[in-house]
Amino acid sequence: MITVSLQYFAQLREQAGTSAETWSTAAGSLRELYAELGARHGFLLPAEALKVAVNARFSDWSGPLSDGDTVVFIPPVAGG
Amino acid sequence: MSRFDLSGAPADLDALRAALQHPGSGGFCTFEGWVRDSNEGRQVDGLDYEAYDDLARAEGDLIIAEAIARYGVADARCVHRTGQLKVGDLAVWVGVAAAHRDEAFRACRYIIDEIKHRLPIWKKEHYLDGDTAWVACTHVHREHEHEHVHHDRIGPPFTPDYSRQTRLKEVGEAGQARLAAAKVLVIGAGGLGCPVLSYLAGAGVGTLGVVDGDRLDASNLHRQTMYDARDVGELKAELAAKRIAALNPTVAVQTWTEPLHAGNITEVFAEFDLVVECTDDMASRYLSNDAAILTGAPLILASVYQYEGQLQVVSAKPGAPCLRCLWPDEPAPGVAGSCVESGVLGPVPGVLGAMQAAEALKILLDLPRQADDVLLLYNLLDHTSQRLPIDVASGCARHGGCVEVAACAMASAQDGADISLSFVHLAAALSAGFILVDVRDPDEIAADPLDAPSRRIPASQAASRAAELDGNPVLLICASGRRSDHAARLLREQGLSNVHSLAGGLNALERRSAAVAAGST
Repeated sequence: MITVSLQYFAQLREQAGTSAETWSTAAGSLRELYAELGARHGFLLPAEALKVAVNARFSDWSGPLSDGDTVVFIPPVAGG
Repeated sequence: MSRFDLSGAPADLDALRAALQHPGSGGFCTFEGWVRDSNEGRQVDGLDYEAYDDLARAEGDLIIAEAIARYGVADARCVHRTGQLKVGDLAVWVGVAAAHRDEAFRACRYIIDEIKHRLPIWKKEHYLDGDTAWVACTHVHREHEHEHVHHDRIGPPFTPDYSRQTRLKEVGEAGQARLAAAKVLVIGAGGLGCPVLSYLAGAGVGTLGVVDGDRLDASNLHRQTMYDARDVGELKAELAAKRIAALNPTVAVQTWTEPLHAGNITEVFAEFDLVVECTDDMASRYLSNDAAILTGAPLILASVYQYEGQLQVVSAKPGAPCLRCLWPDEPAPGVAGSCVESGVLGPVPGVLGAMQAAEALKILLDLPRQADDVLLLYNLLDHTSQRLPIDVASGCARHGGCVEVAACAMASAQDGADISLSFVHLAAALSAGFILVDVRDPDEIAADPLDAPSRRIPASQAASRAAELDGNPVLLICASGRRSDHAARLLREQGLSNVHSLAGGLNALERRSAAVAAGST
């Protein structure tokens, strides 16, 4: 198990009910991590509709995950 | 004294010029109209001008007086020829002297446009083949009809004072001149658009284009600070133009009261130096992105969600990332959330819009800027911000590059131009042979059922249930037309060429019950 810091934006923040949390996971990739969190928080957006960043850098969904990473999920927003 | 003259002989231009010289005038602008050697494909040898003398003189004087009052210029003169003229001869001369060049140019343009439009002068063209014809001026474009000037407040001409920004050593007079020469298009005059338009008008950007198809709603006023309670129901593009004219009358404003579409957007973008995207419409953001990439016009994107916002500058330079490098495809309507559905705190678009205005000025003035290949996230609850560098290699580069991707998307948007169909009543669609498919959610249908026979397939299931829709012409229907349009596009991608979307949705129909209030920017 590793521990990661999570940050949520826009709809994800609303659905998670928080803008940040610490999470222990056995997920081997960002895609697995998002699936795990989606099940927990009831995220409606598919991973393909999001961008994910690790330690302030955009990453691939297949990218690896390390202990202590900060992971940010960013949906497109349209309000104006 | 008469400032307008009709003359059967060539005018004395030196005398006209001398009559306009005045120590208080810093700008002198003239227009000369010459006899051309062709008209509508026919070779012209010369022409005869005939005028209704008294009326032409009176009207000519009136036009010049209007121009002087309207633009606050020092003085103006105009001479129009009558009689026989050869190719190359001077047919009309307009001269305007003013304190500054801008009003001189605009008054000069006003006078020639009105002369062409209103003076009782006719011309007979002589063609090289010996034929002659009387030519009517059927349509004259009058530039000032597209300007927005406050007629209810005629006072001394206003001279802007930009000293607080020209004092910045990076701006100076040279920077101010760049702003005066700049043309900026602002798409959406709502929560983001209000601060963008206000700051750019105040800064003295020479030309502002305003695109907005919506009318002001009372629910807009908590964040759309250019408007008043009494403006509710008016077109926002027109209101914004009036507000800009009141704030800085030297700014020229062009308005579009319909959203841009795939058929005209690149043509419009090509007329501007810079575009600021301020709508709450995901489809508009993607269309603007593609048009920016294809025309090379830099695009400043921002959007807000409740208490946070995103900002991205698409420089449209080769190798720089675009919106599709981040999120390749437009998300389905509803997924991205709008102010109507999710709510927004008024100052949030104010902050993001002010940031867009700052980016626009930085680009126009060539001020020091951060690199463009970042997405900026800003949260106003906890004041955290993140600058995330965009990895160009993992974006459109994988699909042939931004230009290739934008060209494909634009072509597909143009192909889909017949997707949206307008009907006043659903009965008209039925009699045209359409099968109606209600793509709204069950609770929406229960609250506001259709008054015509229809099938029900929620928009989110439309693509997976394409087989049920194959064959007959199909009209998809939702509340606003957005979900039905998106679903129709997905079905077309699956080869269902006969699928359409009701333009504007149920909100656009004339129905027995009062229409549900439409959402707004």
